[in-house]
Amino acid sequence: MHELSICQALLTQVGEIARKRGADTVDRITIEWGPLSGVEPDLLKNAFSVMCARGIAAGAELRIETIGVTVSCSACGAQTKTVANRLVCERCGGFRTRVIAGDELRLRRIEMRVAEPHAALAG
Amino acid sequence: MCQTCGCAITPLGTQVAAGSESRSDRNIDVADVLQDLLAANNQTAAHNRQHFDRHGVLAINLMSSPGAGKTALLEATIVALRDRYRIAVIEGDLETDNDAVRIRSHGVPALQITTGTACHLDATLVHQALHELPLEGIDLLFIENVGNLVCPASFDLGQHRNVTLLSVTEGDDKPAKYPVIFRASDLVVLSKTDLLGLLDDFDPERAASALRGLGSDVPLIHTAARRVPAIGPWIDWLTTELAGMRWTRRISPQPADVLLEV
Repeated sequence: MHELSICQALLTQVGEIARKRGADTVDRITIEWGPLSGVEPDLLKNAFSVMCARGIAAGAELRIETIGVTVSCSACGAQTKTVANRLVCERCGGFRTRVIAGDELRLRRIEMRVAEPHAALAG
Repeated sequence: MCQTCGCAITPLGTQVAAGSESRSDRNIDVADVLQDLLAANNQTAAHNRQHFDRHGVLAINLMSSPGAGKTALLEATIVALRDRYRIAVIEGDLETDNDAVRIRSHGVPALQITTGTACHLDATLVHQALHELPLEGIDLLFIENVGNLVCPASFDLGQHRNVTLLSVTEGDDKPAKYPVIFRASDLVVLSKTDLLGLLDDFDPERAASALRGLGSDVPLIHTAARRVPAIGPWIDWLTTELAGMRWTRRISPQPADVLLEV
């Protein structure tokens, strides 16, 4: 259940950005997630629903955008889409590949409401 | 975060992506951000790595499922290398200091981190441990992570190398079942291979094939750490890694009585 730790980190980042921009409510948080991030999205959503209960993100929606796994093959140069436990080149079968997408776990967007528009941006 | 050793970590800056658009529509504000959710952990890990580098320490993060033989491998490693290198161990477990006691019985400093209910070590826990474990005079630091093939994979600790054990009493398809941790490994160790003759359901070739299926070409070596230890390839890998790190960084180890020049 390391999703609790990840969720705590997410809420810390959201809180810092929201405060800096003078927001008093966060409506929606969007993250980018790849299957090779090692995080289970359903567990992250469960953790979020519990951990956001208090604070600026209370009641906010957590939207998770999935980024599929893509590998780049050093043998034939192809970039092919694949799944998390099969990271070989789908064109030539080579296993000397590099993951170029699918391990993301990052905060993408915060939609929030500010009490007085632009009031905090000057600071 | 850390004010006790003079190595204060600067607070993580809020990074709203350069060139990102933010629009304010009445009182609605949208901030486009591109920040890793583990940015704070990664920053602390980088700080730990600086600590290790400054002291010329090779730090190894040792991971596996529970009971794969991490502590037994460390005990055999200490016996094999303690006359050549100075070794220290950080032990991660949910409860008890049993593993640290085992390591200390071999005359090696060991610090136990008990994580309570947490299923993994993170960079902050290791950083706190480093305050109680002087790195001066240490060549090799092993960080024995919590036995778990899932959670530890997501957290950089500041180590130089990740090593994952796969014991032959487990399934040989473990790399396919737990791709994140095996993909992150710089070395995979098949442990308890002295039991292979007693088992008819573990095929090292299938384990190797599952690992290659993750696009990994890292070494897969065999070890047996109990009874008659057979850990030669593991010792060779460790000494090569240590020599390579020191050559790369031109770090001279400084034994008590001899100053080596590299």
